[in-house]
Amino acid sequence: MPSDRLDTIYNAIIDGDADTATVEAQAALKEGIPASEILYNACVPAMEEVGSLFERGEKFVAEMLIASRAMNAVVEILKPHLVDGDVNIIGTVVIGTVAGDLHDIGKNLVGMMLEGAGFKIIDLGANVDPAKFVDAVRQNQPDIVGMSALLTTTMPAIRTTIQTLKEAGLREQVKILIGGAPVTQEFADTVGADAFAPDAGSAARIAKSLVGVA
Amino acid sequence: MLTSKPMTSRERVLASIAHQQPDQVPVDLGATPSSGISAIAYYNLKKYLGINTGHTRVYDVVQQLAQPEDDILARFGVDVIDVGRAFNTQDSDWYDVTLPTGQEVQFPAWFKPVQQADGSWDVFDADGDRIATMPRGATFFDQTYFPYLDGYPDSYDDLPKLMPKVHWAGLAHSPWDHAGEPDFWQKLREKAIYLRENTDKALMIVAGCNLFEWGTFLRRLDNFLMDIMLQPAEVERLLDALMEIHLQTLEKICHTVGDVVDIIRFGDDLGTNQGPFFPVATYRQLFKPRHTILCNYVKEHSQMHTFLHSCGSIYKLLPDLIEAGFEIINPVQINSRDMEPERLKKEFGQDITFWGGGADTRHKLNSGTPAEVKKHVTELLEIFSPGGGFVFNTVHNIMPDVPPENILAMFEAVDEFNRAGA
Repeated sequence: MPSDRLDTIYNAIIDGDADTATVEAQAALKEGIPASEILYNACVPAMEEVGSLFERGEKFVAEMLIASRAMNAVVEILKPHLVDGDVNIIGTVVIGTVAGDLHDIGKNLVGMMLEGAGFKIIDLGANVDPAKFVDAVRQNQPDIVGMSALLTTTMPAIRTTIQTLKEAGLREQVKILIGGAPVTQEFADTVGADAFAPDAGSAARIAKSLVGVA
Repeated sequence: MLTSKPMTSRERVLASIAHQQPDQVPVDLGATPSSGISAIAYYNLKKYLGINTGHTRVYDVVQQLAQPEDDILARFGVDVIDVGRAFNTQDSDWYDVTLPTGQEVQFPAWFKPVQQADGSWDVFDADGDRIATMPRGATFFDQTYFPYLDGYPDSYDDLPKLMPKVHWAGLAHSPWDHAGEPDFWQKLREKAIYLRENTDKALMIVAGCNLFEWGTFLRRLDNFLMDIMLQPAEVERLLDALMEIHLQTLEKICHTVGDVVDIIRFGDDLGTNQGPFFPVATYRQLFKPRHTILCNYVKEHSQMHTFLHSCGSIYKLLPDLIEAGFEIINPVQINSRDMEPERLKKEFGQDITFWGGGADTRHKLNSGTPAEVKKHVTELLEIFSPGGGFVFNTVHNIMPDVPPENILAMFEAVDEFNRAGA
């Protein structure tokens, strides 16, 4: 039964079991289940559940990483079977850790969770100068710019980057989502970001609401 | 209390660790690399106080922390010191540097970062490998070399040689920057005894012996987090190799200063903002048995108390950390999930000493007004200090963005709290 197969893939991704997830995905394809159905009825909801379990404190970073790895392994198998129109990109996100800050684990996790939710991610890496954010926005016309800072001393670079986007006339074209250990909703309000996410699980949920996908 | 003799600093710290009410709240500033002050903040503080003597000596070069000088310790009533401060006491052990942010400080003579054209500073080891970097705009050095990035080796024979390629070990703070010298252990004992005889303060030795963190240093955090879930047997093989090295270090520390030093500090950052990095069951399987061995060794072979530094939200792990044998926990990151001060004190106050949690360095100490800082600190003192089990310190180091006025307001709050309770 196809739904059993999808349930197994769904559960294997949540458990971070890439072996089971990929074997089952291959079997599902063989049985004629469309790749897009596996993607949207097993993979994407699995990552959504992982994010929600993480938000509730029932999953941990290590488990989120292996879930994301399992999802990527399944996506690699699905890719050759996905045809134009199968993949519904719900938005593009330019993401990076701000200037002076080399910490990228949190930012990478956010990238993975957003990708799992159906976003296209343009990852600028760590220690990203404001000018680089500006160039990436010009080039990619993203829906969202995601910025991360781990340190109280690099948080001000979020403000500088938003200011630079304003000066370039690009601020109104994008939603700005910020996060990182010391970042708060209050800080987001102060610097004029559109949203703040306290963790990678909520980041995916909030990013979806920013682009109007419930 | 009115008629009793004031305690010495050491008595005060030891009473608090024994969960007895000390005569006043014991205070730390700079006894560990997670209860200290950044060189930038320290320089700014001295300038604000009009102190033109002495030096801002960056004893922890990775985190760019200053070694607080005797007059600063006296001014703020600090009760505990690191034995490392008895090393590198000569002017020739240091050289003058102006930080990119303008502060005139001193670096240890052995520390020679290379300034690059883009304004970043790199550190290379003897093999020419780049082991650390501080980008323009940053205020400390990040690790750039991960010895086992590509996978686990067949043999761990080369582990002791590879460890210094990790910047935390390769750029170790005192006393460990002298560890390779032939008379190191004898000197360590002499200097610890000197401090015992010439100060009334409790003595700390920073041992490290990190387990989870060494995995992340060698494999990189993202890889190691996946490893502990996907290949626990390989992780255990690495942890066993690390334990062999750590136990050799512990044996030497206990033998050399175990009868002189009061507290031994271990480190292992187990928490993120939102909770532990991994499930509690994983801690029990991989790390708790080994933490228990480290703590037991110290208890059986020294008079030292066991101190663990772990950042983040570790509420879920605290019962197991207590069972493993840790008597003191730092930095008590009260701004993380589940780490509300009242809850921690109520649930664990009888069983562990909170070393930190006295001021939030993320939002209050850096961006509050002095009056807000005082109120914040006083509230935390009221929660944490009853019945001992508390040593006052900020949540982790005082970062460069903390204004001197707020540091003074924080210590004024401690002073006023102690006077009110006397």
